[in-house]
Amino acid sequence: MNQADLLDQFVIEARECLEAIGKRLLDVEQDPDNDELLNDLFRSVHTLKGNCGLFEFKPLERVVHAGEDLLDRVRHRTLAYSAALADALLEAMDYSAQLIEQIERHGRIEDGADAGSIAHASALRAFVCDSASASSAEALAALPVVAADPASGEDVTPSWMSRLDLAAFASKSGVLALRYLPEEGCFFKGEDPWRLARTVPGLLQLKVEGACAWPQGDERAAWDCYQCNLDIVLCTDAPRAEVEAHFRCVAEQVAWCDATVNVRTAAPPSDGAVSPLLRKRAAALWNDQCELLARAGHSAGTVRAARRALTNLLSCVEGAAASAASASLAELSEEVSASSLLTWARSNAPAAEAVVVATLSPDARMPDTDIAAVLPRIEDSPPAAPQKVLKVGQEKIDRLMELIGEMVVAKNSLPYLAQRAEEVFQQRELAREIKAQYAVINRIADDLQHAIMQVRMLPVGAVFQRFGRLIRDISRKLGKEVNLVVEGEDTEADKNVIESLADPLIHILRNSLDHGIELPAVRRAAGKAPAGTIRIVARQESDRVIIEIQDDGAGVNAARVRDKAVERGLIHADQAATLSDDDAVQLIFLPGFSTADQISDLSGRGVGMDVVRTAIERINGGVELTSVQGQGTTLRLSLPLSMAVTTVMVVESAGRQLGVPMDLIVETVRVPACDIHHFKQARTTVLRGRVVPLRALNDLLALDAAPIPNDAGELAVLVIRHDNESVGLLVDQFQGASDIILKPLEGVLAGLIGFAGTALMGDGGVLMVLNPKELLQ
Amino acid sequence: MYRILVVDDAATVRMYHRKLLSDAGWHTEEALNGVEALECVHAQESDEAFDLYVVDVNMPRMDGYSFVRELRRLELRHQAPVVMVSTEAQRQDVDAALDAGANGYLVKPAQPLDLVLSAALLLGDREAARAATQGVRT
Repeated sequence: MNQADLLDQFVIEARECLEAIGKRLLDVEQDPDNDELLNDLFRSVHTLKGNCGLFEFKPLERVVHAGEDLLDRVRHRTLAYSAALADALLEAMDYSAQLIEQIERHGRIEDGADAGSIAHASALRAFVCDSASASSAEALAALPVVAADPASGEDVTPSWMSRLDLAAFASKSGVLALRYLPEEGCFFKGEDPWRLARTVPGLLQLKVEGACAWPQGDERAAWDCYQCNLDIVLCTDAPRAEVEAHFRCVAEQVAWCDATVNVRTAAPPSDGAVSPLLRKRAAALWNDQCELLARAGHSAGTVRAARRALTNLLSCVEGAAASAASASLAELSEEVSASSLLTWARSNAPAAEAVVVATLSPDARMPDTDIAAVLPRIEDSPPAAPQKVLKVGQEKIDRLMELIGEMVVAKNSLPYLAQRAEEVFQQRELAREIKAQYAVINRIADDLQHAIMQVRMLPVGAVFQRFGRLIRDISRKLGKEVNLVVEGEDTEADKNVIESLADPLIHILRNSLDHGIELPAVRRAAGKAPAGTIRIVARQESDRVIIEIQDDGAGVNAARVRDKAVERGLIHADQAATLSDDDAVQLIFLPGFSTADQISDLSGRGVGMDVVRTAIERINGGVELTSVQGQGTTLRLSLPLSMAVTTVMVVESAGRQLGVPMDLIVETVRVPACDIHHFKQARTTVLRGRVVPLRALNDLLALDAAPIPNDAGELAVLVIRHDNESVGLLVDQFQGASDIILKPLEGVLAGLIGFAGTALMGDGGVLMVLNPKELLQ
Repeated sequence: MYRILVVDDAATVRMYHRKLLSDAGWHTEEALNGVEALECVHAQESDEAFDLYVVDVNMPRMDGYSFVRELRRLELRHQAPVVMVSTEAQRQDVDAALDAGANGYLVKPAQPLDLVLSAALLLGDREAARAATQGVRT
């Protein structure tokens, strides 16, 4: 069994389950009487618990199992759903998520998780104990919550016994089986487990395997080769006292089982070739068929299936009796009745001497609960065509994206090639053909890029999902009532954009909850509904995704913002007085600004909106704030659909090529030098009746060169948007647009102000891409 | 080759069961719930019908009990045995499975040997049954 694959699958599904559980819990809170929601919630927890059972994740299983028991009661209305119960469940699921993270990272749960898991499990079980069905619940809580360990439990035969071929010694009496699990550090105690096992008196059989899986690949380096990893089972016919004396130094590491009883009853000498285990299981299944047939009202199909099972069972059990039984079964009519088949089955049971043990392994976990009677029978939901979904690791998609990025850049070298063919090699015909081919490749590359971007597109709802929980928790903490309304959660954007959106959004929501929405009493006094509303609206506008976060709270108090900004020395008092209210509220985006009179643990200590703005601008987005005092605040985030490919305008200045992000560019104009007005140091020009301030790019980059006009004496002006205003950048020349893959600056260059990053050009050169916003500040 | 349909809504469990069963030399297919399982049954050509069903109990849309009941009602040339696998280990759970028409019952997580041996016996695959019990794990 490939454990790694199974574990990966487990982690993926566990995450899905936890996400579904979190979402459903909130749904149920809104609509606690909806059976369907409750069943759905229960099933997610149930699935998670079932999956845990495949691994030795006891701390996780303990918590999830407690949650399952709790929800089972809620589902059957023996326990009322309450906010406190939901809190406990949510916390338990958060804890489970941590454990799953550990599992993903290390393949196991770290030691010491037991305490936390027991705490969470008992917190959940406390709800059960408080409820009416306390008697069974207490018994339940007192019992171990982990599924029966196959090595212990009440099984007559420990599972390790099956590793020994005891049938071979069926004729012997006094056979003793034992399992010896040497402790990890045994080599440092001078023990020699292998020798100890080999020299057992009266040794009949000895089998060894690793106590846990041997390391593969990279794990091998980290493996401590001095720790013992042996699991030894053996059987002997020496007297027990003698064997015990042999293992006297490691007695606590040895488990014993008297194999004689099992061997004698399970393997009659007449059928020596068939192992006792097989015979036992066959008899149990035979018994199941009898029980099945004994039930009234079975359809013909059930009888036929039981008959087939009986036939198959017989064919696996060898011996004269079985052959005879097979023959007599074949003689029964094709449409035999259930009762006749039952009579036949009872009188022809194979190996009557075999112990008949129910297939059910004894398990006393839930002595009093009547689960079978109440398992859900959900069959009415309309069948829908199953969605075919392919799950692919993210790194594979990222790799594909990278390759396509390289391809986009590589295709850009064709126009250079065409140019060289024409200018250097005088091959005009060839140049035309290259250009024609370029057009084809360009189109395919565009389609390819579009297709892969579609793969990376996620609905923004993915990030909104967790906000329900966040708002619920925070508003409860603050004693406020808040409804969250989400619209347009199907709007799609690139995965990276979505992911980098989560933190800023959380920050914004916290601010809205903390500073925006008022306490219910205040709201009532202001004539508003006691419960505030936060709306998150997402939509696509051309190639941008717009996300608006609107609250109907107090709004931003412009006067207070002015005062705070002056008080904190962020702005001069005179300057503050001249600001309009709309401009004043924008001051909250300044670093170090906070109007909170008290430092709250929610909105932090003044690392406020500037963090949001920085984060949004890092992904080429923008933030706008509008606020009406007393009516609420709206934050409008404008984000790119994708961060992968950026279009830049390439300009030349002082002999250098530089890129300017296309989405900031308003227009490119050529202005005659005489139309440029000088006021002291500043230069301006008038474009369509509006005054546009001009800045020379060379000055901004501290390059000592004047802008070069063209032959007609005109200067190239790149008009860009900056803080809702147009600013003209004086450059030497425009060189056209280009698709690039923007790589952020790394290492020592990471702190460089004024540059968004670099890109590789088609001719192999590196293009520095400007960040005009930083540059102009 | 014997054909087994694994029905479970948990992907991890499906993967686990299919791996164990295909390692024992059988062909496996999967369905996510009772409705899908019935669709699979209908989609089979009669000479390629499933030889065994390994079915979970608690599933969305149609649970394991309902699936077995529906299956047994079908006019199939081959009514194959069903093994139910569920986390519950009470006598009444076994009874409920037998009431529905299942031919065997295992408690989740099914031990590899239990699952493979039960499947081998219900399939009538003598070689696999013997291989499963004869110390393959040395």
